[in-house]
Amino acid sequence: MSAPTDRLENGTPTLELRGVNKSFGAIQVLHDVHLKVYPGQVTALVGDNGAGKSTLIKSIAGIHPIDSGEFLFEGRPVTVSGPRDAAALGIEVVYQDLALADNLDVVQNMFLGRERKNGFVLDESSMEQAARDTLAKLSVRTLKSVRQLVSSLSGGQRQTVAIAKAVLWESKLVILDEPTAALGVAQTRQVLDLVRRLADTGHAVVFISHNMVDVFEVADRVAALFLGRMAADVPISQVDRPQVIELITAGRSGDLGIAPADVAAVEV
Amino acid sequence: MSAPTTRTPAPLPEELAAPERTGRRGSALVHRLFVVRELGILAALVLLVVVTVIANPRFLSGQNVRDLLLSAAILTVLAAGQTMVIVTRNVDLSVGSVLGLSAYATGTLLVEAPGTPVVVAVLAGMAVGAVCGLVNGVIVATAGVPSLVVTLGTLYAFRGLVSLWASSADRLQINAADLPAGFKSLGGARLLGVPVLFLVAVAVVLLVGYYLRTFRSGRELYGIGSAPEAARLSGIPVGRRVLTAFVVNGALAGLAGVLYAARFQTLDTTAGTGQELFVVAAAVVGGVAIFGGSGSVYGAALGALLLTTIGTALPQLGLDPFWRDAAVGALILAAIALDRALQLRLAARLRGRNARRDR
Repeated sequence: MSAPTDRLENGTPTLELRGVNKSFGAIQVLHDVHLKVYPGQVTALVGDNGAGKSTLIKSIAGIHPIDSGEFLFEGRPVTVSGPRDAAALGIEVVYQDLALADNLDVVQNMFLGRERKNGFVLDESSMEQAARDTLAKLSVRTLKSVRQLVSSLSGGQRQTVAIAKAVLWESKLVILDEPTAALGVAQTRQVLDLVRRLADTGHAVVFISHNMVDVFEVADRVAALFLGRMAADVPISQVDRPQVIELITAGRSGDLGIAPADVAAVEV
Repeated sequence: MSAPTTRTPAPLPEELAAPERTGRRGSALVHRLFVVRELGILAALVLLVVVTVIANPRFLSGQNVRDLLLSAAILTVLAAGQTMVIVTRNVDLSVGSVLGLSAYATGTLLVEAPGTPVVVAVLAGMAVGAVCGLVNGVIVATAGVPSLVVTLGTLYAFRGLVSLWASSADRLQINAADLPAGFKSLGGARLLGVPVLFLVAVAVVLLVGYYLRTFRSGRELYGIGSAPEAARLSGIPVGRRVLTAFVVNGALAGLAGVLYAARFQTLDTTAGTGQELFVVAAAVVGGVAIFGGSGSVYGAALGALLLTTIGTALPQLGLDPFWRDAAVGALILAAIALDRALQLRLAARLRGRNARRDR
């Protein structure tokens, strides 16, 4: 195992969670979760189904506000109690299948819910220009027109638009929920390149995936959830694939992960 | 503190230019197909008028056209409101009953206080409608019950309310003789030869059309109807927007009630019965997708005009009025088929273009 020589990790994390708990009724979904996400890096969030990945990102996005624990954004403690709070901080989430409205065009989708206004009326030309600029900044060349309906786009193009939408907002943290699920090989490549470019343009990126090839290709750090607990949050250079899989399925691997006693307690 | 957005790589010029170059063409194509949709209804309307005039030249006489526009006015106002609701992937089946309630309330107001200015009567009718819309909207937005069921319930509830009111007030019918002359003159009033009631309907359509196209909350109604979950995740206050659409629709149904009272001047508790499905039909024929997220109020207005014209043209062509219902049914099916065909064609053309560029 190589020594941690990774860049930027002595900087302030864009997002830091300390001891976060979240319950739905009697069921505690997140237990004492710690997470650090750094600018310019892709943090892969992995875990089995039901490990709490979705709950964790929805907590960060303000859809399910946390019950207790510390939520630090760029080093400052903040309270996120709704999607608008998260958006105001610069947190954007790209949801798996739910991100886009089919009957609207690319520009309308990118500005959905936050349309620019010129006085009382919509400012179409400024929105169209901003959409183009953002797509150009991300070197997106696969879209024919920013005025075409989203229903006419391929899966990869839709994901591209969803990601561009997240970038449009001067966002600092972009969370991607399985952006490559259900995509073909070429389209997966497109999206992974885009994810890498997001980090290279200075965004802090959280990338959720079940695909270890994708994770090891694109991530700088890996955070593994196991039954609602953070088993490990380490630079990817410190782990290999079998270890990550062990962390996902058993909650520990070697000296990483949840202490054996805790694992036993969790599994009961 | 880190400033992550400062490191922006300079994009290559060709990449900048790529979306720009083709942007206009794609938008023009989409725009053209939408225009085609509305032109289609207009063409059907013109065809119908031409055929009817050939069979019966008096069809285009001044009085006949004025009657036609008067009948269309009420349906058009209802269709404009219904469009706002349907666009959000909801439907309001209670508008016929709201029309009845508002017409009866306005009539009662004018009988009890004959000195009431016409403007106040109109506002009162709209207020009654808005309250009904609020009831619908609150139930739909908070209880999460499909609007189809909610408004089916209020369809009967509001109608029951009119009957209850009429029987307890011992005024089952309001006759023309009971209404003040000032209000009655509204029904027949003309401006430059055009019935004022029709001008009111045109104004409503233009206002709603302008709102849906250029206001942020109007755009968001389309977003909600197109993908409710995406709209919610985008931070759109979905419940509030849907509630607003129902209230505006209610107010417009209330306005339609006042127009009904002014036009027919004889009101009983059955005013507006059965209108709700005719309104939905007008919107669907006009290209407002019943699944929400697309269609325009102009299309819906043309749909209302077309359905009304069919109703008056068929008797002039010597056909049994029974054929009106059959014709309306056929039109709805034709409209749905046309929408589907246009959708497939648009998708195919855009896909074809994508494929060409990819290879």
